[in-house]
Amino acid sequence: MSAVELNDVVKRYGALEVVHSVNLNVEQGEFVVLVGPSGCGKSTTLRMVAGLEEISGGTVSIGGRLVNRVAPKDRDVAMVFQNYALYPHLNVAENIAFGLRVRREKKDVIDAAVKEAAAILDLTPYLARKPADLSGGQRQRVAMGRAIVRKPQVFLFDEPLSNLDAKLRTQMRAEIKRLHKRMGVTSIYVTHDQIEAMTLADRIVVMNGGRVEQVGSPMELFLKPANAFVASFLGSPPMNLLRATVVSMDGEPRARIDAADAEAAVLKLPRASSASLRADQRILVGLRPEHVAVGMDASADVQEIAATVDLVEPLGSEALLHTRISGQSIVAKIETPADVETLLQIGRLQIPVGRLHVFDAESGRAVNGHA
Amino acid sequence: MATIIVGYFKRLGEDLRRDWQLYLLMLPMLLWFLLFLYKPMEGLQIAFKDFSPFRGIAGSPWVGLENFRTLLDDQIFIRAFLNTITISGLGLIFAFPVPIVLAIMFNELQSELGRRFSQTIVYLPHFISVVIVAGIVINLLSPTTGVVNLILSSLGLDRVYFLTQPEWFRTVFIGSNIWKEAGFESIVYLAAIAGISPTLYESARVDGASRWQMMWRITLPCILPTIIIMLIIRIGNLVEVGFEYIILLYQPATYRTADVVSTYVYRTGLQGTQYDLATAAGLFNAVIAFALVFAANRISRKVSTTSLW
Ligand SMILES: Nc1ncnc2c1ncn2[C@@H]1O[C@H](COP(=O)(O)OP(=O)(O)OP(=O)(O)O)[C@@H](O)[C@H]1O
Ligand SMILES: [Mg+2]
Repeated sequence: MSAVELNDVVKRYGALEVVHSVNLNVEQGEFVVLVGPSGCGKSTTLRMVAGLEEISGGTVSIGGRLVNRVAPKDRDVAMVFQNYALYPHLNVAENIAFGLRVRREKKDVIDAAVKEAAAILDLTPYLARKPADLSGGQRQRVAMGRAIVRKPQVFLFDEPLSNLDAKLRTQMRAEIKRLHKRMGVTSIYVTHDQIEAMTLADRIVVMNGGRVEQVGSPMELFLKPANAFVASFLGSPPMNLLRATVVSMDGEPRARIDAADAEAAVLKLPRASSASLRADQRILVGLRPEHVAVGMDASADVQEIAATVDLVEPLGSEALLHTRISGQSIVAKIETPADVETLLQIGRLQIPVGRLHVFDAESGRAVNGHA
Repeated sequence: MATIIVGYFKRLGEDLRRDWQLYLLMLPMLLWFLLFLYKPMEGLQIAFKDFSPFRGIAGSPWVGLENFRTLLDDQIFIRAFLNTITISGLGLIFAFPVPIVLAIMFNELQSELGRRFSQTIVYLPHFISVVIVAGIVINLLSPTTGVVNLILSSLGLDRVYFLTQPEWFRTVFIGSNIWKEAGFESIVYLAAIAGISPTLYESARVDGASRWQMMWRITLPCILPTIIIMLIIRIGNLVEVGFEYIILLYQPATYRTADVVSTYVYRTGLQGTQYDLATAAGLFNAVIAFALVFAANRISRKVSTTSLW
């Protein structure tokens, strides 16, 4: 039995459909992250699970029970909001206790739960403070505390870290992960930050335009993106996508990079995708920045290609090379870089053919044995 | 000492140069205050003089607190003062909470159309002139043709002479005032409620709070600062009672409960031409009002950390 199950869930505002037939099974104890660009319907989907948004079509079940028409308070879920939603007139202890108090729990039960949550979240010294006197990270922890004491079947998070600065975000991310390990509560977590998604998730759900693009473990999505959107969404910097046309050469399909005025380079393609390509097919050739190499020997599996380096961004232990192949830009990430002057003179990049991804330009779908 | 003053003016000059646009915006308000509030204070000296219009303010002799002594010996003034406090006090108890309740009720209305409609209806009386309101009240309560008395007599009850019986004056006055102003005053609270983040309610819904609990545990505490500020203002006006409306409603038969300081000032000063006495009464009122605001603010700052200044 799945902890949370979404079947063909649809959300409409009047005639406008913003979530199209989403299917998702979240297993008991699993940490699932919904990720996607702004406006893709992540929050709406999560809020339908919480019961804060009416479900226009399809079914949502929690713990095997159909909850379409069940009030939020009876769904046994707890939610953490982006802006924390702390009650300004209540102190930390009262905020954490709120959910129990409105359910008329006994006072000693409440006190014990608050104390325990405060200890887990390092909030004990702040119990008497008002939210206004707390830092962003502390407020975030109070919001988590309020969810924890409820001991719900499912935690729902809607971008809980996006109001924090980068350093605190990293720290809180680790804390959420630790908390999940410790409590093992099924969690659905919404973010538009792909790093958060990669680091936290057991499984990632990539959404775009109200649809689920792909569901899988972080590595699965990273290594075998089902389409160009997922490929370019995960990874930083994102995967390079070169527009190209399939041509036949030596009896094998190759990719001729579309070039406006420069000379068109021709790339070999991985064997796995060769079989399903036809001549003149418009494709996107995907290549992760970290897979582009400089100063490697060319071989059967490594193709060398002419490139001009426009810009070098040294990041300390690595550097980003902004380059051009047949007029299309490609970013390369290289480790242990030489000095900037040398890198600007490179002129050639090596591309491991096996690492290339091929997508159909029209549908965006991956053309390979990866599927 | 001199260096402190010089430093102060130097800083003021710098401020003026940097933020002159802001000071320019402040200027009309400042002029208004000077011209219409501070300049007339010159006339307050009358309260300490044996004033006669023929001698002029400067020519009238000083009499110290003589006028105040006369006032406090005057049973009519004492009665007017106590009436003022009573009417305001009863208003505070009965009229003050009504707009808060109204605002919360509006907020609970689900249908947008229903809310707009009912809000407009309760705002409307505010825009009716007091003269007309008084006319409506007098008509409604008329012992011979008034709807209220017609209903009473059709129920077999005795007719009531509402406007000539002193014991009814306060009820009529405060009741009709609530009808006229409560809807409009609820705007302030509605604005305060609109400022509450909706996620507070969403979070409470997920956590299991009922509508009633949300009202008591979220809405009311969140608008409490607004309520307190309105209360302080109201307390400051405790010695001010809608003067035109009383003049329109009262008659010598109801002076016992209806005569207030402002109507007393009007009768003695403008009709009886005892300007010095009337000014003293007005000043007396103002001093007490100031003390009340000051005290209310002080108390509020102590108990709720909200205050006007
Ligand atoms: N009340 C509404 N009426 C009409 N459209 C709405 C309404 N609420 C949301 N939408 C639309 O639904 C879509 C999905 O919104 P949603 O809040 O789920 O996006 P999101 O993925 O959470 O984005 P973000 O990362 O910015 O929070 C958006 O295109 C938005 O414009
Ligand atoms: Mg969102």
